[in-house]
Amino acid sequence: MSSALLAAAGPQPVIPDFGTVSSCVRDNGLFCVDWFTANFSSMFGPALVQHVRLTVIAVGVGFLIAFPLALLAHFRRRLVKPLGGLTSFLYTIPPMALFTLLVPVFGLSVLTAEIALVSYTLMVLFKSSLTGLGEVPEEVRRAGEGMGLTRREILWRIELPLALPAVISGLRVATVTTISVVEVAAFIIDQGLGSPIIQGLQSPFNTQFIGAGLLAVALALAADGLIVLVGRLLTPWARTRRTV
Amino acid sequence: MRRRTLLTGSLAVAAAAGVSTAAGSVAGTGPVITVGSKQFTESWVMGELYAQILTARGFQVVLKSNIGSADIIDRALRSGQIDLYPEYTGVILQTFALPKRMPVTAHGTYEAAKRFEEGRGLTLLRPTPFQNRNAVAVRSSDARKHGLRTVGDLRRMGRISYAEYPDNITGPLGYDAIVKAYRLSAMKVRPLNIGLQYPALKNGDVDAADVFTTDPQLRRYDFTVLEDDQAIFGFQNVSPVVRRSLVERYGSRLTEPLDAVNALLTEKAMQALNEAAAMMRLSPAKVADRFLRANDLK
Repeated sequence: MSSALLAAAGPQPVIPDFGTVSSCVRDNGLFCVDWFTANFSSMFGPALVQHVRLTVIAVGVGFLIAFPLALLAHFRRRLVKPLGGLTSFLYTIPPMALFTLLVPVFGLSVLTAEIALVSYTLMVLFKSSLTGLGEVPEEVRRAGEGMGLTRREILWRIELPLALPAVISGLRVATVTTISVVEVAAFIIDQGLGSPIIQGLQSPFNTQFIGAGLLAVALALAADGLIVLVGRLLTPWARTRRTV
Repeated sequence: MRRRTLLTGSLAVAAAAGVSTAAGSVAGTGPVITVGSKQFTESWVMGELYAQILTARGFQVVLKSNIGSADIIDRALRSGQIDLYPEYTGVILQTFALPKRMPVTAHGTYEAAKRFEEGRGLTLLRPTPFQNRNAVAVRSSDARKHGLRTVGDLRRMGRISYAEYPDNITGPLGYDAIVKAYRLSAMKVRPLNIGLQYPALKNGDVDAADVFTTDPQLRRYDFTVLEDDQAIFGFQNVSPVVRRSLVERYGSRLTEPLDAVNALLTEKAMQALNEAAAMMRLSPAKVADRFLRANDLK
């Protein structure tokens, strides 16, 4: 290969006209509404959808693991300490370190991200479920036994409904926490609102990371509100008690 | 040209051993090729250019953007998580090959980098005409006032401050190396992340700054790039690093489109593409698409 190839002796490129942008975008203003709305459908919308999907899967799977464990511990009290210890331990690992540990095994993949995300939900969901199940007053359970209910019927008709408020509050904390950890997951998978945040910081553009950051905050607030609402619909008795 | 990475070195090690993962379904038919890109605007645009031209030529392409740092992406390539990515010829020598003596021409740098990569089961395709090198920039008003032409002329300004990104304070292209090569003992370092050095230089917070020669900010502000007459910054053309097995398998069907794109990337073209992506904030995908269409490659 001749060194001429390294000089500008080759074909001359056509440089397309990329149009013009507002002075706000050009000068990297604090927040350019025009750019944010123009890029919503191509950048922020898809990132938001990915963020929701990653969060829902993590909290859903986390619940499917943590709740049965809480039930088990509720009936076998000696499991409370080891299971609580294990979920607490998982919760204390810094997200970045956990991603790093998982990458060699599961690659730079959604699976890696989800394993880490699920492990962060377990402690909150396990403890809140266990607390909820244990909140049934002894005399209520006795009354149930007196009415001739079996252990299973007591669980389904008394303990689970009364555990709901605590489970709901656990879900609120787990969901909001997961939404923030998903932002860190963007380091290993180029997905979710963390992706525009990281890129907006790397090639500095305020609108990009502030916009994505605000969306993440809004998502956390909306998710929290939604769970509260669903919780109220599921526990009408709690509402009547509140109004008395 | 070492770019800052927010990831730990341990993740580099981790990624090296990582398992390749299927990335959804992709359009097109034929073999799947995974293109990688690094963690800054220019690389995002180049990754898109490579991915889109290969897609247009009938390959199924997966693009894994934003893989950092040089170390991590190099391991990802060698472990088969990606098949090719754009890399800087000087970076290959300065980061991986570490020869005792650096070549003194752009062509020599390319040849040495290619030889090194071929010893590792990889190869380089044809390089771009443009280079993106580190350089030292000052305000043009200062350059006129003090008659600054080379980096060494900064001595005339006495006590000054120099903006440098945190990753590059030590190392062959960094602040320490500049101070040593140009005997600038009166120049103090001010660590600033990439991108922040421009407003700092413009506002007078620093007197000189480490810049990249294809950065669009250099066209926007009234800055002067000083001559590196001690040649410490090396040569930085960009070339696709590709797994050799892939080149052997597809031959010119793979190399011809990539060569065609690279041949068009003059300094002026790359600066315009960077400006569209970094200053006008069009998505790298859109920038690449318009460039390929304007040049009848798509």
